[in-house]
Amino acid sequence: MTKRKPPPKINADTKAFWDGCRERELRFQKCEDCGHLRHPPAFLCPHCLSSRTVMVKASGRGRVYSYAVYHVAFDPAFQEDLPYIVALVDLEEGPRIVSNLVGCDPGAAACGMAVEVAWDDGEEGLCLPKFRPAGA
Amino acid sequence: MHAVGVLEAGLCNYVLLSYGHCGRSGDSMMRMLAGLNAEDAVFGHFGATGGYALAARRAMHEFRTGPETWKRIAVGQRKWANLNPRAMMCHRPMTDEDYDRSPWVVEPFRLADNCLLTDGGRACIITTRERARDLRHPPVVIMGLGMCNPAADPAPASHLAGPTGARRAGEMALRMAGIARDDIDACEIYDCFTYTVEITLQDYGFFGPGEGLDWLQGGTIEPGGSLPVNTSGGLLSEAYFMGLTPLTEGVMQLMGRCGERQLGPKTGNKTPEIIMCSDNGGILQTHSCYILTKG
Repeated sequence: MTKRKPPPKINADTKAFWDGCRERELRFQKCEDCGHLRHPPAFLCPHCLSSRTVMVKASGRGRVYSYAVYHVAFDPAFQEDLPYIVALVDLEEGPRIVSNLVGCDPGAAACGMAVEVAWDDGEEGLCLPKFRPAGA
Repeated sequence: MHAVGVLEAGLCNYVLLSYGHCGRSGDSMMRMLAGLNAEDAVFGHFGATGGYALAARRAMHEFRTGPETWKRIAVGQRKWANLNPRAMMCHRPMTDEDYDRSPWVVEPFRLADNCLLTDGGRACIITTRERARDLRHPPVVIMGLGMCNPAADPAPASHLAGPTGARRAGEMALRMAGIARDDIDACEIYDCFTYTVEITLQDYGFFGPGEGLDWLQGGTIEPGGSLPVNTSGGLLSEAYFMGLTPLTEGVMQLMGRCGERQLGPKTGNKTPEIIMCSDNGGILQTHSCYILTKG
């Protein structure tokens, strides 16, 4: 039997983000006082320390800040995915997100490449926000 | 730094810095690493190798670096390990071809870019100059200390391709020591990955961004080179005892207790008077620099 992949860590801070993913929407926290957009979600704004936040919807478009190609499955559940790409994606709204680059040959990946969100149906109705080359 | 603080405050007379771990035969190191970025495990992002690989890839985008640079570090440090009977890799020479054939772990890192997992330990005692004077071994003196902890979560951090905390920590330590960078005879750099050595030396100012490849040519960091680095083999080729691998090697070199790898006539290097050491934590999130000299 294939080992199950680790589920996302959902807590009071991150619940709104993962609730958005279920509806295939990327949602980020925006500080209601200074307007700073942030990810990952947190209780306080790292710029002005305000705790007042609203969730805003992101376009899902961004650029690869950096990426790493896994050739070793540190968790056996990822064995069949090798080689796979973990990427840091700068969303056009500002926040940076850890995700996967999919639909892209590892040799074709590049820092700065334009990407767009590609929803990956996970288990129990959960959708994972992954990214693919823009327009692919 | 904390040890110096409690000694200066008179809270104690001796501080023992120690590290022991069954990192190789047990699974606690892998479990600790798995917890390092557990939030991202859902995307298959685990441990330190992935985080440092993201930093190294970004560095490749921002300045001239990559496997050709890191090969000089991996192969160079292995030459030191081959002189060190305590090194795990003492009897395993590494050629350029060995490096090129080393399997990918998390690209752009090959296995040869990764540090070791080791069973064992290291220890070092810190005390005041007055007390050290009466002890059996010649003491080594801390000339300068610097610490800078960017500490931000690595994903949104902008310092992964430098300047890391090493920039300010290095400047602080040199200022406290009252010396110039050119006065440094050798470096013992925390080398969890080959890239860590490059970015630390770069941020300390030994070369400019992207100039590492040229600077490393001709065996700069190797036996007989102009700036020996990680003279025990380091975390890459001797043993992984966290920051105590570089610290204890710096101390032992200045005490003259390093046998075949002892810097001096035997290795074709200057007998060292001043050694610069580093330690860092997380994914380049914390950095300490300390400069040691003979007592």
